[in-house]
Amino acid sequence: MIENSFNRRDFLKVLGWGGATVALSGCGNTSVEDGREYVTSYVETADYIIPSIGTYFNSTCAQCDAGCGIMGRVREGRVLKLEGNPDSPINSGKMCGLGQAGVQAHYNPDRVREPLLRNGDKGEAITWEKALQLVSEKVASANPGSVAFLTGGVSGHVKVLLKNYLDAIGSDRHYVYEAVAPSVVRAANKKAYGVEMPRLRLDRAKVVVSFGADFLGTWVSPVHFSRQYAKFRKGVNGERGVLVQVESKMTITGANADRWLAIRPGTEGILALGLVNALSAAGLTVPAEVAAAVKDYTLDRVSNDTGVSVEHIGKLTALLKDRSPSLVIAGGAAEGYAHGSQNAAAVALLNQVLGNVGKTVEAPASMPFPQMAPITGNRSSLQALNDSIAQDGVKVLFNCGANPIYSAPASMNMKESLKKVPFKVAFAHYMDETAMEADLVLPLNSSMEDWGTVVPEYFAEGAQLNIQQPLMEKLHPGTLGMGDVLLALLKQRRPAEYNGYEDYYAYLKNAMVAIKGALGGENEDDDVFWDSVLSQGVVKLTSSSNALVSSASAAGLQLPPPAAEDGTYPLRLIPAVTPNMRDGRHANEPWLQESPDPLTTIVWDSWVEMHPKTAAKLGVVEGDIVEVASKNGAIKGQVYVYSGIHPDVISVPLGYGHEAMGRYSKGVGANAFKILDPVFDQQTGELAMYETRVKVTKAGKRVIVVKDEGPAGGNQSGRRIALRMASGKVNLAEEV
Amino acid sequence: MYRFLRLSVLLVGLIAAVGSVAVHAAQPLTTADDLGPVVDQPIEFPHDRHAGDAAKGGMQINCMYCHTYARRSNVAGIPPLQKCIGCHRSIESVRETPRIKKLFEYWEAKKPVPWKKVHDLPDFVRFNHERHIQRFVFAQEKPVQEACGYCHGDVKTMTVARRQKPLSMGWCVSCHQKDHPVSATSTKTTHGPNDCWQCHK
Repeated sequence: MIENSFNRRDFLKVLGWGGATVALSGCGNTSVEDGREYVTSYVETADYIIPSIGTYFNSTCAQCDAGCGIMGRVREGRVLKLEGNPDSPINSGKMCGLGQAGVQAHYNPDRVREPLLRNGDKGEAITWEKALQLVSEKVASANPGSVAFLTGGVSGHVKVLLKNYLDAIGSDRHYVYEAVAPSVVRAANKKAYGVEMPRLRLDRAKVVVSFGADFLGTWVSPVHFSRQYAKFRKGVNGERGVLVQVESKMTITGANADRWLAIRPGTEGILALGLVNALSAAGLTVPAEVAAAVKDYTLDRVSNDTGVSVEHIGKLTALLKDRSPSLVIAGGAAEGYAHGSQNAAAVALLNQVLGNVGKTVEAPASMPFPQMAPITGNRSSLQALNDSIAQDGVKVLFNCGANPIYSAPASMNMKESLKKVPFKVAFAHYMDETAMEADLVLPLNSSMEDWGTVVPEYFAEGAQLNIQQPLMEKLHPGTLGMGDVLLALLKQRRPAEYNGYEDYYAYLKNAMVAIKGALGGENEDDDVFWDSVLSQGVVKLTSSSNALVSSASAAGLQLPPPAAEDGTYPLRLIPAVTPNMRDGRHANEPWLQESPDPLTTIVWDSWVEMHPKTAAKLGVVEGDIVEVASKNGAIKGQVYVYSGIHPDVISVPLGYGHEAMGRYSKGVGANAFKILDPVFDQQTGELAMYETRVKVTKAGKRVIVVKDEGPAGGNQSGRRIALRMASGKVNLAEEV
Repeated sequence: MYRFLRLSVLLVGLIAAVGSVAVHAAQPLTTADDLGPVVDQPIEFPHDRHAGDAAKGGMQINCMYCHTYARRSNVAGIPPLQKCIGCHRSIESVRETPRIKKLFEYWEAKKPVPWKKVHDLPDFVRFNHERHIQRFVFAQEKPVQEACGYCHGDVKTMTVARRQKPLSMGWCVSCHQKDHPVSATSTKTTHGPNDCWQCHK
C-alpha cells in the first residue's frame, strides 16, 4: 500500500490552484510563442523523413525474453509509440501491454545517466575513461578465476562478446539468473522429449489442457501463444478448440478457459496420472509398463487427493479420448513444488500417452550459430555464485540484467552476501536494489538507443535472429550500450583483435556481413545486405530440427500424496506472476503500475487474494489490511476477495515492494519474494515457488481498494452489473 | 419583456455578423492587417531575394521548393540545411558575403540553424498545411504565392518573415465561411469545414 502523507484534502487544494492557474494563463494566449520558440530543421535528412509524419523503424522488444519484433514510430527524431512487426513470426504484428510500456523504460526519469563510483554512501559521477580504467585495474589485480559475471538471459552478439571477454581474462564464470523462469519444466521436457522447450502447436490441437501454464499472460512467449490460441479457437474444420485450465489460482489463461478446475495445490501430477489411468480404462492404448505404474490412481482416489470432482475427471477423460490431437502443458503452477519435476514429468507422460508428440508437440528449430543461442537462467546458478562468494571465491563481480537482492528468497541473504565481494560493478538502467550495493555503476543505453542482436528463447517457426537498432539518439550522453562497454574492455585485453572496430555498431555490422551467406544474403553487396537486414528487423535462418523422443515411460515417477496441513501456517502462498509486473524488473514504468491487473483490476499496489470462504473464516473483507507471515518473514497487504482461487491458498503478486529503483516503484506494494520458504525442487534444485506456508492475521486498518471495477467487485459474474454502495453505508472515517 | 430582450440580442448579433463580414470582405488577402512582433533570426534570411519578382531583383523561386513539406504534411517545415547548401555551394558570387559565410559555418559544424518560430498556434489547434495547399494550389490552380499569402501575407516582399495575420479562430472561420469553387474547372462551390474537431482534435 502507498503510505503517503499527501491526503485527499491537500490533493483537492492543489487541484483547485492548478485549475485556476490554467484558467488564468488561458486568457493571455500564452501558449503562442511567436518569435520565442525555436524551430529546428534537420541539417541533412533522408527524402522519406517528413516533419510531423511518423516513420517506422523495425527493432526488437526488450521487455521480456520472448523476442517479439517491434516497429517504433519515430517523429522529429523521437520515438513515440511501438507496434508489432508483421514480419516477425513470433508476434505477427501484435504486441502486449508490457511491450507497449517499453517507451517508458526509455524516457524514464529515474534512469542512471553517468558512471557512478561509490564514495561512502554516495555515488560520485566519474567519466567513462576513469570507470573503464578502474575496471581494468581491478580485473588485472584479481586472480582470473575470481572474476565473475551475473546476468539475466542473454543472447546474440553481446553473448559472444561476453564469452570472449571472460576468455580474455581467463575466467569461465558466467552465472545466469532469472527469478521467474520455467526451469523445472525445461528440465522435465529435456528428459521426456529430449529438448528443453518443444514447439507447442496450440493451433493444431482440438483440446488444450494446461496445468497452470499462463500462456496467454506470462508464460514463455505470450503474444505468440495468443495468436495460436485465436486459431485454436476458430478450430480445424469449424471444430472449436476446448481449453481446460487446471490451477489453484486463476490466471488470465484460466479466465479464458472453457473449464477452470481449482485443484488442491501440488496435486497436478496426481491428476495427470489419474487421467492416464482413466484413459487406459476407457480403451486408449497405453504401454503396459505405464498402465501398471498408474493403476493405483483410481477415479475416487484422484478426486479425493486433488479436490476435482469425479464428474469433471470423467468429462475431461472423455474429451481427451474423443478429440485428438490434444495438447497438455505443464506451467508454473505444476512445477512450483518440491516434487515439481515429478509433476511436470507426469504431464509429459500424459502427452505421450495421448500420442501428441509429433502432432502438437513438435521439435523446435535449432539455432545454426550455437554461440549466439540464448542462455536461460535459473536459481541454482545464483546459488552456485552465492556459495562461491561465501568461500571468498569472487573478487570482482559484474552484474547485468539481474536483480538478486530484490528477487532472491530471503534465505539466500544476497544483500549481506554481496558485501563480501570487494569490487562489484553493476550495469544498470535504474539504481535498483542490486545497483545500490555496487561499487561502480555503469549506466546503460535503453533498448531504444542501442544496437544489438537477439535470439529469442522460443522460436515460433524456424530459427531467427532479431535485430535491435536505435529508434532515436541517446537521451543522455553519459550512457553506453552493453556491447560498447564489452568492446572497450576487450580492447584493453586483445587490442590486436578488436582495435579495428570503432564501436559496437562497427563490430556488429562486420560480424553480420561475415555470415551473410547463412543469413540469406550470399549474392548481395555488403551494404545492400546490411540495409535490408535493418529494414526487416528479423532475419530468418535456415535451420534443422532434431527428432523428439516419443516413447512413453513412467520409470522414476514418484508422486507424493497431498501435503498434510500445517497447524501454525495453514495456508499456502502463491506468488502470482502478473502480466504487468512479471518479476518486477519493469515496476518503474508507470503505465504498468496504473494499467489494472487483468483479473482483479487493482492498480498501484499489491494485494492479498483469497477465496470468500477463506475470508469468512479469517473474518476479513475486501480492503482489510492483513499480515501474511511465513517462517521467513512477513508482509502486509490489502485483502481482495475473489472466487477464482482455491480456498486453501492465498496469492500475492510478485514485482511490487521495491526498496529502490525509482519514483514509481519504490515503496509501492509489498515484495512477496522476500517471504518465500527455501524449499527446492528435489531434482533440479530450483526454488519451489508455491511451497511457502503462511498464516494470515488481521492488522487492524481497512482501506478502499483502488481498482477499476465497481464497488460490487466480484459480484459482476452474477450479472449484478455495477452495483453501487449506498452512500449511507460508506464509513468516511475509514477512508484513507 | 423577455421577447424584447430576445429581439435585442438577435439584432446585436445580426449587426455584429454583418459588420464582420463587411470588414473581412473589404480586405485584400495578402496585406498585413495584424502585424506580429519583429523576430530576430540568426541569419537575416532574404525572402525577397529568393522569391521576389525578377523585376525587383528576385529569383522567383517557388515557395514549395524550400518549404517542400507544405503539400505533404501538417507543417510546411523549415528546409534542411543541406537544401540551402545544395544551391549555395555553386553560387560563387555571394559565397563571401557575411550571411552565406555564417550559413557555411553552421554546415561545417553540422549544426542546425537555430531559427525562431514566426507563426505559432496554440497547442490545442491543429492546422494542416497539406489540406490547404492541395485545395488551393492543386485543385483550384491558384498561384502558389497567392495561396500561401492568404495566411502568411506577401512574403516575397519581406526579408525575414513577420506575421501578417491574426491567426485567431475568428479569423480562420471568417475564411472558412466563404464559398469557393471546388476546383479550377468546376462550377460547384463549397466552403471550409466548420466542425470543431477539424482543428481541435
